[in-house]
Amino acid sequence: MSLKAEVTLHTASLRRYALVLTRDPTAADDLVQETLVKAIDKADTWQPGTNLRPWLFRIMHNTHISELRRAKTRSDAAPDLPEPVVQDHQHTQLELKQVLQALDQLPEAQRKPIILIALREMSYVEAARSLDVPLGTFMSRLGRGREALRKIVSGVTAGKLAVLNRKGNI
Amino acid sequence: MTQDTNTEQDLGLDDDLMAYVDGTLSPEKMAQVEARLARDPEARAATASWRHHDNLIREMAQTADDLPANMRIAALERELATKLQARKRRAFLMGPALGRIAASVLIFTAGWGAHGLFSSSSQLRGAEYPQFVSATLTGHYALQYASMQQAEFQPEDLDMALDWMSERMQRKIDSPKLERLGYEVESARLVSADSGPLAIFHFRDRQGDRVTVSITPHAPDKADYALRVVRLDTDSMAYWTDAGLDYSIIGDVDVGQITTLAAAVRE
Repeated sequence: MSLKAEVTLHTASLRRYALVLTRDPTAADDLVQETLVKAIDKADTWQPGTNLRPWLFRIMHNTHISELRRAKTRSDAAPDLPEPVVQDHQHTQLELKQVLQALDQLPEAQRKPIILIALREMSYVEAARSLDVPLGTFMSRLGRGREALRKIVSGVTAGKLAVLNRKGNI
Repeated sequence: MTQDTNTEQDLGLDDDLMAYVDGTLSPEKMAQVEARLARDPEARAATASWRHHDNLIREMAQTADDLPANMRIAALERELATKLQARKRRAFLMGPALGRIAASVLIFTAGWGAHGLFSSSSQLRGAEYPQFVSATLTGHYALQYASMQQAEFQPEDLDMALDWMSERMQRKIDSPKLERLGYEVESARLVSADSGPLAIFHFRDRQGDRVTVSITPHAPDKADYALRVVRLDTDSMAYWTDAGLDYSIIGDVDVGQITTLAAAVRE
């Protein structure tokens, strides 16, 4: 595969990842563009022969963190991520909305491993490298994050069932 | 960590369960984990939930593929690919491998290596040496051949190889097109021969049979070679001159097949 084809392939992955991070197509494309601009500036730091994907994702992570810091400074509060780009009329989309809202409640250190692995485009080792953390740390954050996400989502579901029960709907 | 009973907190730290959800277990380990899940409802619920959440997140991510094309991103992709290609080339040219090759070229006496290489097979055939002597001679000539080599490239670096070879030969060199005949390029080399730089491309088909193509600038004081096909002991060979370049192709195939291959190179 030529380098051009490889870059195109990885950019599509970056766009998918950015969309989950930002929940907004315009913000996702802005993040991808900023990532590519930085990658062009840092091209000399890439080691030929090593996998390009973790290198690009690492740049995106750093770019995203900088953007979150800027947003925090602007709003003097944790960034309010835009609503998910989903419609509420389908059950799976409701579920997705719940999962994305639950993801937002997790610390950044747990959220990113979950998304990276959910995309199924990187191995554990590559994903850990892209986040610049040891593999053990990555696995621990992934596992704890998945369990925390499960508890939040199941808590939300249980809460909704309780409300419906109180209303006598079920 | 593998255990049959878990607290909720432990489940997230269980590497086997993680690997099960992510499909990275061996078949044997997968069977073990599935047996465990059959008797551990909490672990079963956790893994089902993790997998379901992953699927939802992935489906959401894949909607990015339906977003309109972004021309700015496409332009940045091209710019990045160009920068990385330059980085790759620079790293190769400044790398330790090329340094060693350059050193070997410096100590190479032009002409001697080529003579040794091309006369080796006839010498071995003409004399009846014990097998170990023939093996030693082969090793000796292989070393001579290695010292003639300026650089070797893998298939993924072929574009870079062609640029570099073209620069060394001071004319545009294209890779022979043998793919439609079922051959894939295995490696490419640039060798210092008596006649000047020689680009050598090694191809291999699905059966593992090899074909070698060489390209070198034609000596201006010599007449062009018309296409000639030759049957050797076990191999066939063809050579010719075209547009100021001499070509040869050799492989363990019959005369008809080498002619077909030569025609593909000439296209």
